[in-house]
Amino acid sequence: MTDYALTLHDVSCAFQRAPAGHGLAGVSLALLPGEIAGVVGPARAGKSTLLQVASGSMTPVTGEARVCGVPVSRPSVRRLLGYARESPSFPPALTVREVLDYYARLHAAGGEHGRRGLVHEALDLAGLTAASALRVAALGRPDLQRLALAQAALGGRRVLLLDETLSGLDAVARRDLCGRIARLAATGVAVLIAARDLAALERVAGRVLVLRAGRIVRAGLLAALLAERVLEVILDAPPPEPPPGFRVTATGVETPLAGRTVEAALALCRAHRLAVRASRVRVKSLGEVVLETHDAAAR
Amino acid sequence: MRFLRCVHAEWLLVRPRLARTRFGALLILLGATLVWLHSRGLDPLAVALHAGALGAVVGAAFAAGNDADRTALATALTHPTTPLAIASGRWLAAVIPAAALTIACTIATGWHTGAAAAGAVAAGAVGGCALIAVLVAGNGAAVALFLFMAVAGAMAPERLVGLADPGVARLAAASALELGPALWHYRDVATGDAGAILHAVAWAGLGVITASGLVARRRRLS
Repeated sequence: MTDYALTLHDVSCAFQRAPAGHGLAGVSLALLPGEIAGVVGPARAGKSTLLQVASGSMTPVTGEARVCGVPVSRPSVRRLLGYARESPSFPPALTVREVLDYYARLHAAGGEHGRRGLVHEALDLAGLTAASALRVAALGRPDLQRLALAQAALGGRRVLLLDETLSGLDAVARRDLCGRIARLAATGVAVLIAARDLAALERVAGRVLVLRAGRIVRAGLLAALLAERVLEVILDAPPPEPPPGFRVTATGVETPLAGRTVEAALALCRAHRLAVRASRVRVKSLGEVVLETHDAAAR
Repeated sequence: MRFLRCVHAEWLLVRPRLARTRFGALLILLGATLVWLHSRGLDPLAVALHAGALGAVVGAAFAAGNDADRTALATALTHPTTPLAIASGRWLAAVIPAAALTIACTIATGWHTGAAAAGAVAAGAVGGCALIAVLVAGNGAAVALFLFMAVAGAMAPERLVGLADPGVARLAAASALELGPALWHYRDVATGDAGAILHAVAWAGLGVITASGLVARRRRLS
């Protein structure tokens, strides 16, 4: 039997006073140790709700969530599972080190030495050592996100739930945080990330789940989802009407190749009297996959 | 043992708050004002009671009244602690500085053990009530409770009953003074009145238990 780090089995929940369709409907997933999975979807698709259920903050109407085989409702799970909320908030008067020291006191049974070890480890892991003396009130968003990651990982947790921890960051901070999450996963920690920033997920996730109206409408390995090739055709002038299967872009038209050859697709352009200046083949972006999935599910 | 460790972790947050926020300065200002009022005729027992009660309201505001602090409770609950440990620790963080202020004020106004005890007991009771108030409604509630304690808190309900209409408001205020952690109750602690002590213990216990329920709710709401 596979020892999953996190499992959700047929989880459903609904919010009171929320429109129908909000919440989760029959969501199941299993995460292996060391795996990084991304949860994507439009606003109110259920991404944060999924993480709340997985963390035990929300009790599902049906189904259950387990961490390393233990139901998330058990208090002992808090030693195994770390959760960084969407808008992390910490006591503003405390410094970064004091915040982590506070959480470490809740974990450490090994006295002063054990606690300091946990704080040092968390600071190092999130790249916050240089900012350890700064007060929380003075932190910018990247450092707040790092602190959220540090507190979630503190204590050697086996599963991390990161709600938009990669969102709203500049490219350098995002790359750094992605690298840190990847290194953490390499030690066997399973990571589930809800993200609006799909470029960040493309950098770090091995698997992606697309949510829509509380259901997983598409799931798979990132490499498989992004395997499809797209032909971009740059034109001298905007086309009056794109050929069938093509869509108009800022510089011309594009189409998924989906088994066709590049030559066949370009021949179709020429048959429609389009003045082709240049063309290139690229793989689909995660954003395109999500949009396609969303549109297909909406139909 | 783990419970005590978690309570201790909460209590330790009081040190940076005293040093880096206006908490310390407000306590000193409150103490100085009460000692000045003593020089203008306020009796030492009233000084001790106000120091304990008002200090506890200020303490609760700085321990859990700030929006960011209240939101951060949800994060704390993702670690191995319990809502009861958090509430107990925050109650201690509100009450112990207030009790220290009471002792300082009692020393400044001429030491009287009964007054110091009454002030400390008032701090415990009002701290419980204030913790509930700030967890429900933030620091706005702390300001309202502070004003209530400062102005009406020392008044016995019998004095209100004798006032003119409107009757419903008068009755509500008298009931609040009778049932709530009003300071006139705790004057009798100075003379060892068991009823007054029990009243304070009940409010402190009710405060911590209700606050723990409110903290637990934060986990689900955030």
